[in-house]
Amino acid sequence: MSSRRARASRLTEDELNNLIFKLHASLPHHSNSTSDKKTSAAKILKRTCNYIKKLQKEVDDLSDGLSQALASGDINAADADTITTFLQL
Amino acid sequence: MKSTSPQNPNPLKKKLASRFLKAMKKLSHKISSSPSPPSTAERRRRHRAVRAAAYASMASAVGPRRAWSRALLRKLRSKATATSGRKTARRNPRNIGTRFLGLNELCDVVPGGKAMDSCSLLSETGHYIKCLRAQVQIMREILDSSSSSSSSRIL
Repeated sequence: MSSRRARASRLTEDELNNLIFKLHASLPHHSNSTSDKKTSAAKILKRTCNYIKKLQKEVDDLSDGLSQALASGDINAADADTITTFLQL
Repeated sequence: MKSTSPQNPNPLKKKLASRFLKAMKKLSHKISSSPSPPSTAERRRRHRAVRAAAYASMASAVGPRRAWSRALLRKLRSKATATSGRKTARRNPRNIGTRFLGLNELCDVVPGGKAMDSCSLLSETGHYIKCLRAQVQIMREILDSSSSSSSSRIL
């Protein structure tokens, strides 16, 4: 059992690093000068966590705003199609 | 990462937006049926409802194609049927922990992350981020359009 696990880790070691660096591309870049090769995998993972948490917080805040907008009747959601075209989708 | 200009509608974004708008429509009917000024508890309930709608539309727009959306859908369904038992399939958490400590934190924020192996977790994260970002954009656009435009334009 342990040998299987060791074999699996040897196979995906590079794959893991590749995936992590791919993930880096999804993150918003703060400073283009310092990063590139210097950004370690651990840093990327940390940044990814923080970014996800930030996005989830934004969803939370926007939900609050939207629920208040719904209540005050600013959004007449009776015509979702109108809003869709309004959003140029 | 595909960069889509505003002219080219992102199909994922389109799907997300249509589902979220439908959910908002349902919510607005519910809210309009209780015209009295909302209590703090009621406001909190509505806030939670909108947030749940956001994640629900995200998960249903992506469907069962992704592990994170499956995990979200499972969680939402179990909440709907109000089951209290939580079966967390913790498969190989140590395997992840010995490699990178960051992965432990990551599997906590990504839905269903705890049950994934390192490779899946990383690829799921990328997709999850993409969807989260699109969802945030949509919500922001709706909020902006509601505050800037008068209701007569939408009517």
